[in-house]
Amino acid sequence: MNEILRVTGLRKRFNELLVIDGIDFSVLEGEFFCIIGPSGCGKTTLLRIIAGLEKFEGNVFLRGKPIIKPGIDRTMVFQDYALFPWRTVIGNVVFGLELKKIPKKEALKMANEMIRIVGLEGFENAYPHELSGGMKQRVALARALVCDPEILLMDEPLSALDAQTRIEMQNELARIWQKTKKTIIYVTHSIEEAVFLSDRILVMSKRPAKVKAMIEVPLPRPRNRFGKEFLEISLRLYKILENQINGPGGI
Amino acid sequence: MKSNVIFTILSISLFLLNWEIFYWSIIRDPFLLAPPSRVVPTFIRLFIGQDPSFYMPLDVLYSLYHYAIGFSVAVVFGVSLGLLMGYLKTIEKIIAPTIELLRPIPPIAWIPISILLLKLTHVSAGFIIFIGAFFPILLNTRHGVANVELKFLEAGITLGADEFNLLRKVIIPGAIPSIFTGIRVGSGVAWMCVVAAELFGVSAYGLGYQIEIARLYHAPEIVISYMLSIGLIGYVLDRMYKFLENRLLKWRRGLVVE
Repeated sequence: MNEILRVTGLRKRFNELLVIDGIDFSVLEGEFFCIIGPSGCGKTTLLRIIAGLEKFEGNVFLRGKPIIKPGIDRTMVFQDYALFPWRTVIGNVVFGLELKKIPKKEALKMANEMIRIVGLEGFENAYPHELSGGMKQRVALARALVCDPEILLMDEPLSALDAQTRIEMQNELARIWQKTKKTIIYVTHSIEEAVFLSDRILVMSKRPAKVKAMIEVPLPRPRNRFGKEFLEISLRLYKILENQINGPGGI
Repeated sequence: MKSNVIFTILSISLFLLNWEIFYWSIIRDPFLLAPPSRVVPTFIRLFIGQDPSFYMPLDVLYSLYHYAIGFSVAVVFGVSLGLLMGYLKTIEKIIAPTIELLRPIPPIAWIPISILLLKLTHVSAGFIIFIGAFFPILLNTRHGVANVELKFLEAGITLGADEFNLLRKVIIPGAIPSIFTGIRVGSGVAWMCVVAAELFGVSAYGLGYQIEIARLYHAPEIVISYMLSIGLIGYVLDRMYKFLENRLLKWRRGLVVE
């Protein structure tokens, strides 16, 4: 697989506060890549840097080109969905296509197709306030996916959902990812979610964040959450995270 | 629902009854006040244009004309300047102090200067109405634009919106509810200013003007009839904007619950 994103010597300060202290990693094309770490460690900041929403020191390359501002090649699914409340489901999904100047008829066709993929047929004309949390997240996902980005960025997209909907959406995400073969960079603080979804997991240390570990998850899909290997990897991840919260390893 | 109608009728009947009793027991002078039993027939006669000396339908049209002049200009300038101020910090900084200086001056205080500059014309009345409606529309629009949530802006940017599209597809739609609030508040003030402007003689036509003429005739039943028509039209205007708001802002229903 080819490398699609490369991050080298990345540092980030908010005024005097050093949040990210030198991070290097790369993401492969078509990979489901998770970023995990203690809360407040800068996971979201890292994702926002890749999205082009934050200034930073160091280098971030997308297919060899430096990232300097937001672009349609990297769309984002926000934690609180950020759906436009004045647009219907279909209106939200075509938003990016309108900006790409795709003819209306074709844009609507693409949007409808994507709405079908995320399982929201019949809700095209509903407004966001009429939808449940899980459905809103599907709309946000469809809106970002339909633009056909190089990389899909997801910032704790399921954290606002109840446990049952969350598991359902994880299964859906795994299904949609396999169907669309998108490169996904996914921020989460849930170990189970990371192991269930990812090819590789980047573990960040607490602030100022460095790369604590990079864990491969070579399990076949669909994954069994209670399988032996699944639990072994989860435990390993748990130990790394626990160690840096309690132990001296946090730097 | 049904009990609401009953209470409405009860409330108004009690009010009219007390008014009637008050007139016949205390005032008893047709040159000072009129009881409902005299006002209602007068109002109907005036409203259908059957009075020999007052032609109310034309006054309604003139007042609406003044309202339209002042209010439409206020909407155009209030909304566009509000958008600019909310969107561009530099413009905001240049204009805001002047706005704060002019805003506390009551529209009525502008009447003398309006008469001096524009004479006794329809435009002069329109100017007073403009002053009244302009500030609420401007301030609500500015507030709406400046308070569009950051997450919507970032969502727009990451989906490929440039500055112009961000304004057109995110900021303006996001500010529409505030703009509508401004328009409804502005319309209410504008209608009050219609009466004030005409009452002070800025224009020799309209509901407010005829109220004053009727007072000079010592005809309180006509004064009160005109008061009634002013209230009625103000109510209809507000309902109209409310209706328009509900139609255009379907997406807001239930949003408060979230």
